[in-house]
Amino acid sequence: MHRTLILLAAACACGKADRAPAPAAPPLAHATQADLARDIADAERLGTWSDVAHRWQGQTVRWTVTHRRVLCRSADDCYVAAFPIQRPAKQGWMPQLQFAPGQYDALAGACGGQDPCEVTIEATLSKLEVSPELPTSVQLSNVQILPPPHPGTQTARR
Amino acid sequence: MTKLINTLAIAGLTGTALWAGAATAFASSHREAPAIAEDQYVDNTDVYAFISPNNPNNLVIVADYVPLLLPSSGPNFYKFSDNARYEVHIDNDGDAVPDVAYRWTFRSQRKNGATFLYNTGAVDSITSQNLNVTQTYRLEKVNEHTGQTTTIMDNIPVAPWNVGKRSFANYEQVALQAVTTRNGVTAFAGPRDEPFFVDLHVFDLLGVGGAHTTDGINVMSLVIEVPITDIASKGSRPAASDTSPRSVVGIFASASRPRVRFLRDERDWDHYGNFVQVSRLGWPLINEVIIPLQDKDKFNRSQPRNDVANFGAYILDPEVPKLLNLVLHANCAATPAGGRTDIVGLLSPSGTKAADLLRIKINQGQTNTDSHFPNGRALTDDVTDTLLTVACNNGQHIGDGVDANDLPFTTTFPYLASPHSGNP
Repeated sequence: MHRTLILLAAACACGKADRAPAPAAPPLAHATQADLARDIADAERLGTWSDVAHRWQGQTVRWTVTHRRVLCRSADDCYVAAFPIQRPAKQGWMPQLQFAPGQYDALAGACGGQDPCEVTIEATLSKLEVSPELPTSVQLSNVQILPPPHPGTQTARR
Repeated sequence: MTKLINTLAIAGLTGTALWAGAATAFASSHREAPAIAEDQYVDNTDVYAFISPNNPNNLVIVADYVPLLLPSSGPNFYKFSDNARYEVHIDNDGDAVPDVAYRWTFRSQRKNGATFLYNTGAVDSITSQNLNVTQTYRLEKVNEHTGQTTTIMDNIPVAPWNVGKRSFANYEQVALQAVTTRNGVTAFAGPRDEPFFVDLHVFDLLGVGGAHTTDGINVMSLVIEVPITDIASKGSRPAASDTSPRSVVGIFASASRPRVRFLRDERDWDHYGNFVQVSRLGWPLINEVIIPLQDKDKFNRSQPRNDVANFGAYILDPEVPKLLNLVLHANCAATPAGGRTDIVGLLSPSGTKAADLLRIKINQGQTNTDSHFPNGRALTDDVTDTLLTVACNNGQHIGDGVDANDLPFTTTFPYLASPHSGNP
């Protein structure tokens, strides 16, 4: 029983340490969705889940994503594909978008009648759930729709 | 999309097996993920839902657990776990968040510990004193928003294992004594013939050819028949013309274990803590073949409302057609650049949120003959062929060559066939 209590106390202490607020991470030099996927894959091998979450949460990202009407039915229920079709997909997660004012309509305008449609967004990666127990989920907030790049411009986001 | 659903319905109703050069098959959700394969008693295998053939005001839900059971598996025959919650969750407003659940919890008993026998003589009744090892259950209805539970029935016997002809002169007569009706709900818990039919040779490098690999196998079944008004949003059945998200219910089954288990040197295990979901299932085959190994255990722990956020890319871009082409030259269509939004559409009928939920229309006027996958799932539905055809997406019907169960289903509750005998 004594040993059990010590173990439980240690577990509680670890839990508290995990939840302690940490200083914001510096901006990432490489913050494409492919960089994030690589970090998550590394965490799967190395157990560095909390490092990944800390490094990425709060980052401003500029990603080209694929919008499909069936998965973005309203401003409150909108998911986009972070990667083009890979045949088959290498990761399952699809970022949930939370739009800056007016930007959901801007998305509809940018896509027009095109479905699916690729758009470039700038957003804050506000929530990243990564752990060995639960599946990855990504939330992008304050989403702004950016104008399409000029022809010949290198996007290099994937 | 309507055309696709019609095609599926026709394929399901006719039960035809049109081979398309190559074929493959999968077990619906039997031993589908690494962690749950180590915890057999809480492994979901299949969920079925259909309007009752005997009362169109009722919905029948079958949740099967404990996969691939040999009938002659004594002396400790299969049962449900005493340290688990078995649940069927129902979303009745289309948001993929469950509103109502039915929860089974079990308790085992033993009359005589001084024998190794499951039964100490011939058994002619579910209350027989010769039935040495028994199990009972409590069935509760849960308000998933408040957590409030209402006991529907308690201390109800689980049907015994079909040990053999020396133990049971008439097994089914005894087993059906486990059918219980209380508070408008009819329930059954116990072993049944495995209703899922498939060629499991698929896992030998997709080498299939119509082998009936689940014939002669049993499973542990939970069956309930409930008034549709008990589960419908606001307690009323939608009008026949209603096409809103409230006109369908979305169903998934799960099993949960206490968070902590202590293994003791000096006595039995102890279990503590909140229950943690360890297995779940709505549609057949999602975790089996859509979710890759890296996320299978995580899928079992996750909730359907997050399926698009967590696993949406796998559904848009599945592995199955690629494998069919690579190994069997099945000539499946390449995944379009826009992804398989047709599959997303099937997972989100009537404007519901896409999720791994078995959805079924509950409008007034819906009858048993309307209940075929993906509108619910009938016991006779050949979902393997249906889903392979959808996955391959080349306009041809793909099948595994196994088109029906080994035993006929019954027309009366609990609708599943009697389990195979351990000593026929």
